[in-house]
Amino acid sequence: MAEVLRREVVYLITAIVTVIMFIEFFFVGTWNVAEELRTWATIIANISLGLGAVRLLSEHAKNIQKRRAGVWPFSIWLWIIFLITILSGLAGYVTTHDAMKNPLYNWLFRWPYTSLGQTLYAITGFYIFSAAYRAFRARNIDAALLLIAGCFVILTNAPIGGVIWGGIPVIGRWFLDYGQAPAMRCFLIVAAFGMLAYGFRALLGRERGFYGEVAGE
Amino acid sequence: MVKKEEENMAIIISGRGMALVILVLSYILFYVFMYLGRKGREIPVRTLPPMAAIPEGIGRAAEMGRPVMFTPGIAGDLNDPTQGPQVLAAISILGYIARECARTGVKLDVFMPIPTALPLTEETLRTAYMAEGKPEEFSPDMIHFIAGQSPYLTAVLGYFQRERPATNFLIGGFYYESVVMGEGGNTIGAFQIGGTANTHQMPFLVATCDYVLLAEELYAAGASISKDPDILGCLRGEDIMKFILIALMIIGFLLGFARNPVLINALRW
Repeated sequence: MAEVLRREVVYLITAIVTVIMFIEFFFVGTWNVAEELRTWATIIANISLGLGAVRLLSEHAKNIQKRRAGVWPFSIWLWIIFLITILSGLAGYVTTHDAMKNPLYNWLFRWPYTSLGQTLYAITGFYIFSAAYRAFRARNIDAALLLIAGCFVILTNAPIGGVIWGGIPVIGRWFLDYGQAPAMRCFLIVAAFGMLAYGFRALLGRERGFYGEVAGE
Repeated sequence: MVKKEEENMAIIISGRGMALVILVLSYILFYVFMYLGRKGREIPVRTLPPMAAIPEGIGRAAEMGRPVMFTPGIAGDLNDPTQGPQVLAAISILGYIARECARTGVKLDVFMPIPTALPLTEETLRTAYMAEGKPEEFSPDMIHFIAGQSPYLTAVLGYFQRERPATNFLIGGFYYESVVMGEGGNTIGAFQIGGTANTHQMPFLVATCDYVLLAEELYAAGASISKDPDILGCLRGEDIMKFILIALMIIGFLLGFARNPVLINALRW
């Protein structure tokens, strides 16, 4: 009974919130309730972030306590970095109302974190290159057409394309504007309908996965 | 003056009227076909090859004695209007994958980089293992939470090298991690099933995965597993809406030739 009731309450909250957002989006008038709900969502998300941090630290404290093989040294490292980051950020906020003005916090964020992130992002080029190699192998007529279109688009983006022949950027641009864009818009429209249907089922409480249930239960 | 008065009396926000009409029409169609589906009307749906390949992928992992990896990408939070539904749809598919893994005794590792989706993921996995009568095999440690795109990517790539999963499921809202993880999975020879509604990431998943759920297939994947009349009814409603939109495009094309702005004005209402 309690389980059924719990489920119904979740359905009801989902439906009410959806209807409120729906009215706010389409109808004229100041709709403070929707704004209030968004503020609640932000507050709840931030509370969950705090709870998540506490849970993370407690899990890693357990790893250290139990000396879990291959894990506990990293758990110590996580504790150290976590404490340094949060304390330096808080110190910056208390003294200047801006965490980034603390030199240690700023250094941690700017140099180790951002640099490592940008390095990883930069190597994506190599992954795209190998994925393109796989996609462009001319195994059949479709793949051969893809290869030809791909070559034009690549040469359009590379300055050398226009130097080789002035028509290459024109053809490449045509593929991008009139070949690729309509197909992508088609996917976009179709995906939007899929999303609408998914939302509608969730609104009626008939999308089971939305509530943590699984097919065939 | 008259126009200003009309604007002041308007109930619907200017420019959103036609969107409201299309939305209401879609909802009516979805509801009608859901109702008909429940009444027993047969709504045929083709089997989605990626969904049919899920047991094959998990069977492969069972034979090889290696784990299965699932991740929904890090494109957006659950409250993100375009990415959130994709993540939710991916978690629905995760429920099915988890049941198959529980049934066959295959280890499942879930990389979840979205904090707000974490409780739902845990609940879905717990329910799936309970449904298979193996609640003791579920452990929260199956879910690896890694915040931030770069740390998440690095963790998944490291996991690929250490654990060498037999099958990877890259289903959800993805950004550039799709190509990195797809290629990383290819390097270790994993069988891969992808899925996203993000148009900018579809080509990467198509190039790197064995099977891909594209656009609405991601939301409709459940139908090919469960034959649920609600999902099938919605699918039929979507198909009719697509025909209506195609008809509108053709009419707009013809009116455009005649330089008649009726349809354009109606769409801007």
